[in-house]
Amino acid sequence: MILIHCPYCDEKRPEIEFANAGQAHIARPLDPSGQTDAEWEAYLFIRANPRGRHHERWRHVHGCGRFFNAVRDTVTDKFEATYKAGEPRR
Amino acid sequence: MSDALIRHEPVSETPCVAHGVRISLAPPMQRYTLRARYAQDLERVFKVKIPSKIGASEGGIMCLGPDEWYLRRQAGATIPTSEGLPVAVADVSERSICLVIEGPRAAEILMSGCPLDLDQFAVGRATRTIYETVEIILIREAEDRFHVEVWRSFAAWLWMAMTTAARH
Ligand SMILES: [Zn+2]
Repeated sequence: MILIHCPYCDEKRPEIEFANAGQAHIARPLDPSGQTDAEWEAYLFIRANPRGRHHERWRHVHGCGRFFNAVRDTVTDKFEATYKAGEPRR
Repeated sequence: MSDALIRHEPVSETPCVAHGVRISLAPPMQRYTLRARYAQDLERVFKVKIPSKIGASEGGIMCLGPDEWYLRRQAGATIPTSEGLPVAVADVSERSICLVIEGPRAAEILMSGCPLDLDQFAVGRATRTIYETVEIILIREAEDRFHVEVWRSFAAWLWMAMTTAARH
């Protein structure tokens, strides 16, 4: 079983306690009504699908309950880093 | 008295005694979930030290997350009330039941379904985690005694899974 470092609990915890929550660092538009259809489409539906290094949101759902960000390699499934929500992209 | 008459427990009230481990239902107690951005605000309500490290417990108050605590008191206890502070205190007494797992094989039985390394889980620690597929709150009360808080609707299945592991 993979151990994932939760930045809030500050310890490595078993993978089964976590849930993946999709691509990270996608900010909701500050001016929603000013968006074009294409911009809304990009915000809502268009996601990266890299082979390799990927920024993702994860949630320690069966632990502290918090969402955080992670850099994970989609080929090796290795977690390069995890950091708290709101911290700059790594 | 009427409480005792209408109470229906989801698991056996007869303890399961197996080689090196005993699993029993704890008496009813009062449970509260506490939410606050800052532990100090809860300290102003409860007038006790509130643990701020996730996984720590102190005086029956466990820190489950960065803004979440869990408080247990014996049935009939009263807790302080307050107004005007940015905290939320919700009574969740009947949401869960508590199973007591004790004996020299207690940690072994728990590790049969819980992925945590309990050798690294010191006395006094408390955390939300998983047993098989069921979410639990695991509390280490002593070297060979644990409390498992589980939601009522999952309790019958958890009892079956744990007593099966104990008899194995
Ligand atoms: Zn956590």
